[in-house]
Amino acid sequence: MTQRALLIQLARLGDLVQTIPAITALKEAHAEWTIDLLCPAHLEDIGRILPGIATTVKWDGAAWRRRAASAKAEVRPEHIAEADAEIRAITEDLYDRAFVLNQHPRAVMAGALLARESLGAVSGGPLSHTLSPWAEYIKRVAISKQSHRVHLADAFCGMCGLSPPKRIMPIKLPWTALPIDLDPIGQSAGPWIGVLVGAGDQERLVPIGVWERVITECLESIPAGRIVLVGDRHEQERAQNIQRSLSQLFLGRVWDTTGRLSLVQLASLLTRCQTVIGADTGPLHLAAAVGTQVIGWYFPRARVHETGPYGPNHWVWQAEAGERDGMAAVEPSRWPITETIALLDDRSAAAVKDWSLWRSYRDDLGAYYVEGGHEPIEPLQREQIWRQLQPSSVA
Amino acid sequence: MASSREGAPSATYQGQWVHSAYDPRQEARTWAEQQVGEWKAGELGVVLGVGLLYHIEALAQVNPHNSRLAVVVPDPSVLKDALEARPLGPWLDSIQWITGMPHEMAEQLASHSTSLRFFTYGPAARLHAEEHQRLETSLRRIVAAQTGGRLHVAVVGPIYGGSLPIARYVVRALGELGHRVTCIDHNVHHASYQAFGSHRDERSRLTVQSRFADVLSLSTIATIGEDPPDLVLAVAQAPLSLAVLQHLRKKKFLTAMWFVENFRHLTYWQQLAAGYDYWFVIQQTECIEALKRAGANQVHYLPMAADPVVHHSVMLTADEQQEYGADVSFVGAGYANRRSLFPRWLSRDWTFKLWGNEWDGAADLSGVLQRNGARIDTDTCVKVFNATAINLNLHSFSSLELDAHPDFVNPRTFELAACGAFQLVDERTLLPGLFSSDEMVCFRSPDDVPSLIPTWLKDSGGRRAHADAARRRVLQEHTYRHRMQDLLAAVGLHQPDRIGSILRGERSAAELKRRTEPATELSPLLNRFPSDRRVELKDLAADIRARAPGRELSREELLVLMLDSYRAETRDLL
Repeated sequence: MTQRALLIQLARLGDLVQTIPAITALKEAHAEWTIDLLCPAHLEDIGRILPGIATTVKWDGAAWRRRAASAKAEVRPEHIAEADAEIRAITEDLYDRAFVLNQHPRAVMAGALLARESLGAVSGGPLSHTLSPWAEYIKRVAISKQSHRVHLADAFCGMCGLSPPKRIMPIKLPWTALPIDLDPIGQSAGPWIGVLVGAGDQERLVPIGVWERVITECLESIPAGRIVLVGDRHEQERAQNIQRSLSQLFLGRVWDTTGRLSLVQLASLLTRCQTVIGADTGPLHLAAAVGTQVIGWYFPRARVHETGPYGPNHWVWQAEAGERDGMAAVEPSRWPITETIALLDDRSAAAVKDWSLWRSYRDDLGAYYVEGGHEPIEPLQREQIWRQLQPSSVA
Repeated sequence: MASSREGAPSATYQGQWVHSAYDPRQEARTWAEQQVGEWKAGELGVVLGVGLLYHIEALAQVNPHNSRLAVVVPDPSVLKDALEARPLGPWLDSIQWITGMPHEMAEQLASHSTSLRFFTYGPAARLHAEEHQRLETSLRRIVAAQTGGRLHVAVVGPIYGGSLPIARYVVRALGELGHRVTCIDHNVHHASYQAFGSHRDERSRLTVQSRFADVLSLSTIATIGEDPPDLVLAVAQAPLSLAVLQHLRKKKFLTAMWFVENFRHLTYWQQLAAGYDYWFVIQQTECIEALKRAGANQVHYLPMAADPVVHHSVMLTADEQQEYGADVSFVGAGYANRRSLFPRWLSRDWTFKLWGNEWDGAADLSGVLQRNGARIDTDTCVKVFNATAINLNLHSFSSLELDAHPDFVNPRTFELAACGAFQLVDERTLLPGLFSSDEMVCFRSPDDVPSLIPTWLKDSGGRRAHADAARRRVLQEHTYRHRMQDLLAAVGLHQPDRIGSILRGERSAAELKRRTEPATELSPLLNRFPSDRRVELKDLAADIRARAPGRELSREELLVLMLDSYRAETRDLL
């Protein structure tokens, strides 16, 4: 029987993109189901291009915030009526089930309001603080810094009661025009290398001087190479500062797209790059999702085993805390610049002090990372985890 | 009357334009557009300032919710001039004209069941500033007497000093009035503040103490952020910096300061004037104008008071009467004018006891100084007041004579009266507005005192009559409860949809239920609260959470919880 299911992902761009395996797994397991997606309003355009989604509905947090501010001053029946109308605008009839992939109370309550049955990050009713076994697992490994773990995107599958999908459906990127002056990007010989100049959190920003060295070395060692600076409007100033610091010799080889693209245009731009380099940010995961190889620089708290780019053939440089507390922020004193260029050039990268290098793979139990220079591993440990948390998936 | 450059009639008053000299209509439109953002549905708009009615016409035309509009007309001749000066349209019929004496106009306005939203057109309002002030005072009293809602007020006290007990009286008064009070008591940091004062280098000392006050300022906003109040009420010397006050305003907190200081002596108000939303001061015109010039928006007169819980009649034992009693006493610090005048008031014909500290070097008074000039506590003060036939009340002044600007009335005046104690007080310009001559005996000159003392010593009946009358007056009008009612009413008048609404009890369960259709979702949730209980979104959510275990939540309950989760987002104050 056709069922209507709603996937609820109210977190950021990176998490939304990491939801693709769960959507794929749901479609593989229940091809006849109609699967809708509830995501933050500002990510609605990305939600629409995710594979397997019938309808993307937006969660307008700003409207809820305004309504709450008004109700805080004086709660009136209109507030409840308006909130009810907002929920009914998402769906008049309740979904058969909601898969809630965030443990935030709002996501859990949205599940309770929109569907007859909810499962996902939290077990129990909408006010429960009990994490589901998979959410508990993610929390535990984040603290214990275990490697050979189950990837977050695969754990999302687990939260939906499913195994990772056999194959990943590609993003259905519609034809999207770029601004005319940016259209040549990716159209001529390259390689075209995307550089994510910014990051949502201040502490994840790669210093401008470091980007200047990466770009300089890259353009010097790869004669046909082109650099594409990627970022939102808040990152335009950083991009301009990077360009100012570059030699005039590179004129015409650095393309600044910061602040000029919609999210869908950004996804399209990322497909035109052969490789994208950047910190653990939404655009890095979007690049991986559109099939572009990425090289991630993971610091100060980002961990490859928690939020590494999903899919095979990506690289991640992981800043190591050494003997210090594994949860503490790592502030790199040196950066894997030459070694990253070597990866771009398909050469093997030398070891870098205070950094480790990881390569991504994918098998029947999902994505995993192996330290550079090592062979892909048997999925024994991950199999054990799946067996423990979800026996049916392994059987 | 004068013609504007654009041709329309304009007017001047005392050399200043009441309406634009260029284009009165455009100016009025701009003014009206600036006002309407605040005008909520259902509020009666009340305009202060008549002029040639351009601004009223403009306000009537942009009236966002088709609300009613009233204009206060202290002098009908001004309105008559306006009506004759220029042609007026049908909008005039929609205006309610409020006329009469200030108290009559206040009663007319208070009789409206809706809340009032005041719009002051400054250039015209200044013609009748005094009448508007009296109207507002009357209205505050009427509103204060009617209020019944429960506010949450955070009272921020000083680290130390004379305003410290005032802060405590304020906390008690607000509590007695039924409001929820968060007391942010910085006196607990006094020892540290003093320790920082031990640095020999003055610049180091001031820098460290100033930084320490900044830390306390941050601590205050952290406390406020944890349990956001409806109003932050600071008492003089509260360690709140301008930056913190501006931050609080940005975060939509309302702030008020009761400046229980002589504005001429302590001038830190100049730096803070623009920071507080409301200032309450113990002096009138000169002080109010100075604060407004310094950037204060709302300044109101709010005199000192007494706390009958602390200041009251006591039965003294014979030993206590012996220890604390005298024909004439004074309790207080050794300011210059007291050191200069008291020796002139000593006599062999009456006993004199001087209590308090900071009398070092006052050789002429060493014979009457009690306890070697030790600081005395409030209980002892009260005993002295009660045990003394004539309590001297000489307002402090840094010169050798009486206060050169004798306007404000000190707390001791009210405290002595509340104790039922007789006092001789130096004449103050604001005293007649607080006590009558049947309640308080004043002296105009230091030379009057030596003759007044024997006169009143002989007249115990007269002393008793004055003291009893003064006490009754304090209990009827001058307690901290009255002051807090007045203060909140003033804020409520200017914030009709926030403080005003709460004070009117419109947030109580009964009132919310009254305005809620029984069939609607909110009704069963409200039914769970006592009628007089103030109910907010967070209360509804807390009740739902408390009852959640073991049952399925209704859709309405989930919607309330969802709204509350957005309400509860941290205000990110620090």
